[in-house]
Amino acid sequence: MDIAPYALQLFSGLSRAMVLFLLSAGLSLIFGVMNILNFAHATLWLLSGYVTFSIFTFLGQQFGASPWMLVPAIAGAVAVMALVGFALERFLIRHTYDRELPEQLLLTFALVLILGDVIKLIWGLENRRINLGVRPIEMLDTLVNPYQFVIIGTGVAVAVGLWLFLHRTRLGKIVRAAVYSRSMVSALGIPIPKIYALVFALGVGLAALAGGVFLPLLPMALGVDLDIIVQCFAVVVIGGFGSMLGTFVASIIVGVVYSFSILFWPDGALAMIFLIVIAVLIVRPWGLFGTELRY
Amino acid sequence: MSPNILEVTGLEKHFGGVHVTCNINFTMQEGEQAAIIGPNGAGKSTFMNLLTGYHRPDAGKVMFAGREITGLPPHRVVRRGISRAFQVSSIFARMTVRENVRAAVQAQMRATFRLFASGHSLGAEETERVLAMCGLAGKRDLVAGELAQGDKKRLELAIALAGKPRLLFLDEPTAGMSIDEARSTMELVDRLNRELTLTVLFTEHDMGIVFNHARRLTLLHRGEIILEGTPGEVRADATAQKIYLGEHHL
Amino acid sequence: MTANAKRTGPLSRLYAKFGISGPVTPVLLAAAIGVPWLPGEFWTHVGTEVLILGLFAMSFNLLYGYMGQISFGHAAFFGVGAYATAMLFTALKGADGQIGVADFLLSLLVGPPVAALTALFVGFFCVRLTGIYFAILTLAFGELLFYIVFSWYSFTKGDDGIQGLLPPPFFQDSTNFYFFTLAIVVVAAAAMWRITESPFGYAMRTLRDNQRRAAFLGTNVRAHMLANFVIAGAFAGVAGALWGPFSRSVNPTLLGWGESGIAVFMTLIGGAGSFIGPMLGSVIYTMLQAVVKMYTVYWPLTIGTIILLIVLFAPGGILGMIDKRVQATRARDGAAEAEAAAAARAEAPRP
Repeated sequence: MDIAPYALQLFSGLSRAMVLFLLSAGLSLIFGVMNILNFAHATLWLLSGYVTFSIFTFLGQQFGASPWMLVPAIAGAVAVMALVGFALERFLIRHTYDRELPEQLLLTFALVLILGDVIKLIWGLENRRINLGVRPIEMLDTLVNPYQFVIIGTGVAVAVGLWLFLHRTRLGKIVRAAVYSRSMVSALGIPIPKIYALVFALGVGLAALAGGVFLPLLPMALGVDLDIIVQCFAVVVIGGFGSMLGTFVASIIVGVVYSFSILFWPDGALAMIFLIVIAVLIVRPWGLFGTELRY
Repeated sequence: MSPNILEVTGLEKHFGGVHVTCNINFTMQEGEQAAIIGPNGAGKSTFMNLLTGYHRPDAGKVMFAGREITGLPPHRVVRRGISRAFQVSSIFARMTVRENVRAAVQAQMRATFRLFASGHSLGAEETERVLAMCGLAGKRDLVAGELAQGDKKRLELAIALAGKPRLLFLDEPTAGMSIDEARSTMELVDRLNRELTLTVLFTEHDMGIVFNHARRLTLLHRGEIILEGTPGEVRADATAQKIYLGEHHL
Repeated sequence: MTANAKRTGPLSRLYAKFGISGPVTPVLLAAAIGVPWLPGEFWTHVGTEVLILGLFAMSFNLLYGYMGQISFGHAAFFGVGAYATAMLFTALKGADGQIGVADFLLSLLVGPPVAALTALFVGFFCVRLTGIYFAILTLAFGELLFYIVFSWYSFTKGDDGIQGLLPPPFFQDSTNFYFFTLAIVVVAAAAMWRITESPFGYAMRTLRDNQRRAAFLGTNVRAHMLANFVIAGAFAGVAGALWGPFSRSVNPTLLGWGESGIAVFMTLIGGAGSFIGPMLGSVIYTMLQAVVKMYTVYWPLTIGTIILLIVLFAPGGILGMIDKRVQATRARDGAAEAEAAAAARAEAPRP
C-alpha cells in the first residue's frame, strides 16, 4: 500500500491541528473563565499573521533576509496583539459582562466585521505569505515540508507550557478555579477584572502565536478567518469548553479528519467537521472532557 | 389503595463525590400540611428538586397518588398534579403580574399550543381569581421583575397555585417577607389546605411559622432524616436542639 | 391637561393597546403603500427587498425576541424555501423561459412547507440545547446545509445557482410585484401577530424569561421550542420563496451565515423587543447599505461599528429607545399629575 499520501496528510493534519490548538486554547480559556464566546478570535489570528508578515519583512530589510527573522517577528506580533487584546477587553468587552448572551455574541461578531475591514484598510486585498526557503526532506517515500514539524513541536511545547502554567503556578490555578466558579474566586479576594484582562490577553497572545507560526505554511487571506473560526468552535465543542486536554485532543481529531477528508471529499471536509459537531452536541453537549451540564 | 398521596422510599442522590440525599423514606397523606426543617445545606431544596423531577435520583422510588413519578421530567410531574414554589422567586421577569399568572393558568388548561386563540381572554377569569386570592389584583399590570421582594414571593405562590395542584411544595415561602405579609401568606396556605384539601409540604427557617402552620415536622441533616414528629415533640428533642446549635456530628 | 390630550389621541390609544408596534405599524404601512409613487423603479425595487428581508427578520425574531434564543443558521430555511420555489419554477416553466401565472403561484406555495420540514429536522436536534450551544448548533446546521447545496451540483447547480426565474409578464412590472409582495407580507405578518398574541405566543415568552419555571408550569419546553422553530422556519420560507422571482435567481449564499447575520442585524437595529422592530430594521439596514455602498467598499466596517454601538448603548434598538423615552415621559407626566391631584385635594374644602 502506498503510504505516502496518508503520511503526507497525517503530517499536514497534525500541523493544522497544532494551529487549531493554539487558537482554540485561547478561545476555550476565554469562554471557560469569562463566558464570552469570542467570534473575533480567528480574525485576531489573521490580523497577527499580517502583523508578523510586516515585522518579518521590515526586519529582513534592516538586517538581511533570513528565515530566523521569523522568531523575533512572531515575538513582536505576540506582544502587539496581546496589547490589542488587552485594549479590546478593557474598552469594549468589559461592558458586556452583565449582559445577556446574545448581546455578548453580537459584540464579538461585530468585531469580526470591523477588524476584517481594518486588515483590508491597512494591508489591502492581497494574500500574505512568507517563503522561508526551506527545502523539503525525504521521509517515508515522499517529500515532507520540515516546517510542519516546527509547528508540531511548537504546539506541543505550548501545550506543555500551558499545562504547567495552569497546574503548577498560583496564577494558573486561580484561572482554573475561575472556570469552575467566578464567585468563589472573587470571594477569596482576587480581583476578577484583572483575571479577565489577563485571560483575554493570554488567549489573544496564543492566537497571535498561532498566526505567526502559520504564516510560512499557508497564505493569510481575507476570509480565511471565517473558515477557521468555525473549525475552532468545532474544536471547543468537541473537546469541551474550558478543558485544555479536551481542546488538545479535539484539535488533533478535527485537524486530522479535515486533512484526510481532503483525500476523499475535498469540498466536504468542513461538512465532515460539522457532522461531528452535530453528533457531539446531540449526544454529549459538554464535549469529551468538559464539565457536565447540570440538568 | 394507599391513603398516602406521597410515598418516597430509599431516595439517594450524589453530586460528584458528595452524598446529598441518603436513603430517605418519607410519606404524606392527602390533606396534610407538613414542614421540612434543618440547618443550611441539610438537603431540603435538593429533596424537593428530586421529588419534582429537577434532579434525577440515583436510587429510590417516588410514588404520587399511587403512580410512580421517579425520574420524570418536571413538566410531567407538574401535569400529574404537583406544583412548586421556589426559594429564590423564579418568575417571568419581563412579563406583567397578570401575564405571569395567566401563562400558568393557560399551561394548566393545556392551551399553550393554541396558535390562533386569544392569549388575552383565554383563562382571564381564572387568572383574576388567583390574583385576588393572593392579594395581587391591584398589581396586575406591574412588570414582575420590578416587584418588591415580598410581592415576588406572592407571585411565586400565585403561579404555583394557578396549576391547580393536589400537592404543593413551598421552598421557604415567607423568606424576605414582612411579618404581616408572612402571616397573610401562611393564612392563605392554611385556608387552601382546609378548603381544597391541598396537601402542603414546605421548608422553613422561621420556627414561629413552622410551629404555627405545620402539623408534622421532619428534621433533615446532611441529607438524612434525623427526626419526625409533631412540632412539640421535635422542639423538645435534644438531638434537634444540638443540630441547630451546630454541635451535632454524625 | 396636555398630557391627557396626548393620551387619548389615536396613536396613543394604539400604543396603550399594542405597545410601541401599535403606532409604528400603520405609519410603516402607509409609507409602504406610498413607495411606488416615488419616481423611477429604484425605490419600488428597494422597497420589495425591504419587505422580503423584513419578513425574514421578523421570522427570526420569533426565536430571538419572543423565545430568547439566538440562531445563527436561520437563513438555511430562507434559502431552502428559495431553492424549493426555484426548482419547481424551473421545472414548470416553458422551454422559452416563460411561466404561467398558475404555475408561478404554485412554485411559490412549495417554498414554505419545504422550509418548515427542514426546520422540523434541524429543530429536532437544536431544541435539545439552549444558549450558546443552541447558537453554535444552528450555525453548524446552517453551514452544513449551505455546503450540501453548494456541493450537490447535479441537484442544485451548486455555485452557479439557479438562474432565469422570470415571473409572468404581469409580475415583471416592478410596481405589480411590489404590491403582490406587500400583500403577502401583510398577510404573513398578520398571521405572525395572531400567533405571538396567542397562548402559544405567551408560552414562548415564558421560555424566554425563565425556562426552568416554564417547565414547572407543565410546559413541555422542547416540544414548544420545536413548534416555534418550525413556525419561524415556515415564515422564513415564505420570504425565501418570494426572493427567487424577485431577484430572478438563487444562489447558495442565501443559506449561509452571512445571510443569517442580516436577519440578526435588522432585528437588532429595529429592536427585538417589539413586533414590528425587525421590519423597521430592514428599512434602515437596506437603505443604509444602499447608500454606504455607493461611497465606500467598507460596508462591513460600517455595519460592524453600528452593531457595536447599538449593543453597547442601545441594545433595545431604535424602537426600544423610543419606547423607553415614551414610558419615561408618561411616568413623569403621571407623577406630575398625581402631585397636582394631591395638591388639589389638599386645597379642597373638607366636608
